[in-house]
Amino acid sequence: MNLTSNRVIRVLLLKNCSLSKALKNVRGVQSSAGRLSDHLFVHRDSEENNPNTPFEFNEANKKRVEAILAIYPEGHKRGAMMPLLDLAQRQLGWLPISAMHKVAEILKLPNMRVYEVATFYTMFNRQPVGKYHVQVCTCTPCWLRGSDEILQAVTKAANCAVGHTSADKLFTVIEVECLGACANAPMLQVNDDYYEDLTAETTEKIINALKNGQDKPPPGPQVSSRFAAEPAGQLTTLTSPPPGPGFKIRSDL
Amino acid sequence: MAKFFGVDKVVRFFQIVRDNGGIRGSLRALYRRDELKSGTLIGEDKYGNRYFENNMHFYGRNRWVEYADHVGLDYNASQVPPEWFGWLHYKTDLPPYKDPSRPNYKWMLDHTENMTGTRDAYMPYSTTRPKIEAWKPK
Amino acid sequence: MLRLPLIRAAGLSGCRLGATGLHTTASKLQAPPEQIEVFIDDIPVLVDPGTTVLQAAAKIGVEIPRFCYHERLAVAGNCRMCLVEIEKQIKPVAACAMPVMKGWRVKTNSDLTRKAREGVMEFLLVNHPLDCPICDQGGECDLQDQSMAFGNDRSRFVDINFSGKRAVEDKDVGPLIKTVMTRCIHCTRCIRFASEVAGVDDLGTTGRGSDMQVGTYVEKMFLSELSGNVIDLCPVGALTSKPYAFVARPWETRRTDSIDVLDAVGSNIVVSTRSGEVLRVLPRLNEEINEEWLSDKSRFACDGLKRQRLLTPMMKVDSKLQPVEWEDALVAASRALQQAPATKIAAVTGKLADAEALISLKDLFNKLGSETLATEQPFPKDGAGIDLRSSYIMNNKIAGIEEADVVVLIGTNPRFEAPLVNTRLRKSYLHREQTIALIGPEVDLTYEYEHLGDSAEVISQLKNGTHPFCATLKNAKAPLIILGAEQLGRSDGSKILAETQALAASLGKTVQAPENWKVLNVLHSNASQVAALDLGYGSSLAEIKAQNPQVLFLLGADDADIKREDFPNTFIIYLGSHGDQGACIADVVLPGAAYTEKNASYVNTEGRAQQTGTAVNPPGMARPDWKIIRALSEFIGVRLPYDTIHDVRGRLEQVAPHLVRYGDIEPANYFAQALELAKKTGSFASDPLELKQKTLDEFFMTDVVSRASPTMAKCVQAVIKQRQAQL
Repeated sequence: MNLTSNRVIRVLLLKNCSLSKALKNVRGVQSSAGRLSDHLFVHRDSEENNPNTPFEFNEANKKRVEAILAIYPEGHKRGAMMPLLDLAQRQLGWLPISAMHKVAEILKLPNMRVYEVATFYTMFNRQPVGKYHVQVCTCTPCWLRGSDEILQAVTKAANCAVGHTSADKLFTVIEVECLGACANAPMLQVNDDYYEDLTAETTEKIINALKNGQDKPPPGPQVSSRFAAEPAGQLTTLTSPPPGPGFKIRSDL
Repeated sequence: MAKFFGVDKVVRFFQIVRDNGGIRGSLRALYRRDELKSGTLIGEDKYGNRYFENNMHFYGRNRWVEYADHVGLDYNASQVPPEWFGWLHYKTDLPPYKDPSRPNYKWMLDHTENMTGTRDAYMPYSTTRPKIEAWKPK
Repeated sequence: MLRLPLIRAAGLSGCRLGATGLHTTASKLQAPPEQIEVFIDDIPVLVDPGTTVLQAAAKIGVEIPRFCYHERLAVAGNCRMCLVEIEKQIKPVAACAMPVMKGWRVKTNSDLTRKAREGVMEFLLVNHPLDCPICDQGGECDLQDQSMAFGNDRSRFVDINFSGKRAVEDKDVGPLIKTVMTRCIHCTRCIRFASEVAGVDDLGTTGRGSDMQVGTYVEKMFLSELSGNVIDLCPVGALTSKPYAFVARPWETRRTDSIDVLDAVGSNIVVSTRSGEVLRVLPRLNEEINEEWLSDKSRFACDGLKRQRLLTPMMKVDSKLQPVEWEDALVAASRALQQAPATKIAAVTGKLADAEALISLKDLFNKLGSETLATEQPFPKDGAGIDLRSSYIMNNKIAGIEEADVVVLIGTNPRFEAPLVNTRLRKSYLHREQTIALIGPEVDLTYEYEHLGDSAEVISQLKNGTHPFCATLKNAKAPLIILGAEQLGRSDGSKILAETQALAASLGKTVQAPENWKVLNVLHSNASQVAALDLGYGSSLAEIKAQNPQVLFLLGADDADIKREDFPNTFIIYLGSHGDQGACIADVVLPGAAYTEKNASYVNTEGRAQQTGTAVNPPGMARPDWKIIRALSEFIGVRLPYDTIHDVRGRLEQVAPHLVRYGDIEPANYFAQALELAKKTGSFASDPLELKQKTLDEFFMTDVVSRASPTMAKCVQAVIKQRQAQL
């Protein structure tokens, strides 16, 4: 009884959803679902992030706040909002809502104006991140050069899923869009440092070094043949010494 | 012969007057019902209404009810109980006491006449909240 | 924050820069700039430089569709619906944000323009839910209307089976506004209204791109005295009225033009009714009074018209109020009035009394030989008293506030006493560099002001020039003094009035104000007050208490301090619409009509007479107030000589002709005489100026209608809850 009815339903479904419907729903432009951000754009009070989270600029940063504010003329102090938010984030590693309130208080702005800025820019971390914020570029050039393996190596070495913070609060791993180092793909960013020309092994080494509290591995290309973004093999242009004065100048001059 | 001269009609008239209880009774019946009829008493219900049939009258006028005396002139058709209603309206030729198929359950209510226009008239009431709530003094 | 702080900072330091050079007030007319000619759909139109394309088009009646643009808010230019083609420009241009240039040829109906609009509309609809049948905005939705008028007639949207439409969680912004944020099209009108007009910077956009949402980010309610206006502003159904949710469709309702009487501003309103029930109140455009805004109390207190109503006459039988027939109640009332000697009867009129009722009551009492008629809010009798109209109205008009450059508020909180006066002040503060100072308790007025102290002595100091603020006042070109009527009820009310008059006179002498500039303004909070003073309600509650009357007639007086203990042997007759303080202590209760149920005249704080419309009939056995008084006069045996509303208005015209010149203001100009008559003696009481409405929770319930309103009660609770949460 059950089986037959299931069969009937399936046949009906097939009839309805088959070719005609599939054809009707052929999509014009895009073929993947629109991706939305992983972050929430409303605030939810949590244990570590609520208006009563203590936040105060430390003494060194207080001086920096003053220096930043001095740059902006009277009446345009709100221009200092992003530097101040950045400062707060650098002090704490992330940006709790109390830090936003603090910035609003310094700039004499309504809190909402600070929320607007802090939520607009993706580099303000409104949720706690680990000591090392690992951002793996998975945009097209890096992906073509094997960012999938890099990402896998990172998650394995850091023992942390993408978009999460590791249990020891050391790493937060996220996928990001192009970080602008396509010439050195694949790459990842740890806090402020770019690690480029990665392979799974070098990636693992970097993460392990950070994990074991060793010295920070030198940022930049992780292959010995490269200093910066120059061609990976050898120079292809400007290989000869530059010509001296009088080059291609008329002989009668 | 008598028929030819219409004497039978005169005879019938006197017979009807006699059936209605003489001249005085006939006048009272005329006053109350605006017509003078005589027929076979088929039955009487528990409210005192009496039901007559006289097939001399043509169909539609051959069955009638004389309302109970105590209602006087204040009679109306809803005083006929449902069991007699059927007989009166030719739904059946069997009066209720001769009809074996009449159901009789104990939950059946007693017949009441239509109370519209009287104090006992049914007044429906609204179950929705009033649009305007009145103030109640303390 | 919106005001350019550079000028403000400079203005605060010593002498105002505004007075010397940076002043932007258009008090002095500059030479009109040369107009430029543009062509809208080949029709030439002359406009001032700086006019936007959209405004130029509106000038010749060409309506360009828009969502984010609003005349009274800053230009945002983010909806792109107003794209138009301009000849010799490659791309379509947002008409709302683009100032016209000489000789431009704008095509508002070209193929390119139409295609641009259709494209924008298509993108807006991609993320707009198809829930019009269950949406409260249906029928009055800009998006519906404009997609009909300017959108494409078929859809290419097939994504619903794949990624679907954007969905946004709803926000809890309080008991007045219902949010369905998925419907939001990000026009940001509500945000701009909140920060520019309401002065509550709680709304904003968070996130970016398709994640962007309008909201408060944190869990916070949008509580303001003007919050309801975002419902009107919202072009879609994202913000709708919570009390009105799923109540009616706009085409089912009957609309009646009327006047709001819950404050003394006299905002113009439209009352929406269906089958004898007031469903909602909307603002009506009146540039001189409320522009197009309405305060929350006026908008949402209308459900108070359906509760706590007096439906039948009542009488004390066995020391308990019992419903009776009209005749019994009127006989009882008339007998009491007949038996009392003329010196032992008195009347007090409440906040919501209309001019017709006021004149009938006054005529009745005068016929009985009494003149003891008082208003709930006392007005000092010393000096000119109520004889000179200029000392109790807002002489410079509400719209005139915008012209002022220095405003001194004395003992008033316009934000709650007259929210739409406060929007004018805030507007001028933001756009015209107005300096505002306050004498009285420190309150949040949504803009910065100079607090001069909370003692009445400051008025004298200002007058004598001994206060530091006098320097600013002296340099003012158009100073304005707004005196809160609440202060006149103090024991030193006459002194405050006299000193304020003197201060205004001294300011009037020193400044070269524009012509017909009037410095002295009184801000009332009771809608009936000006009409009552116009008609000569000159007594006070204190006098009545001293008189110990045998009969006390309360015409909707529920807010005055009248207690049964003060009048133990007095027969109290209450005539009003709601059962409140007054009805509780009354011996006879006569049910009157509320302001939506009668055609009645009210005079606002400017002295502008306006009339309410009969939106619904008075409920139950209630009747318009003046008819009740007229009937009562017949029972007493002193018949009042009017039978129709026209007769009453004729009588009103005899007494005070301006009361029936609806919409106009009769200017009052006897400042000098009032000053002469003012008593120079007397001294200020030592206690500081106090206000009844200082915080938002005190704003919502101030009269019988709003006290009976469940919505207003919810508002008060919400304000208190929010305040506790932030502690």
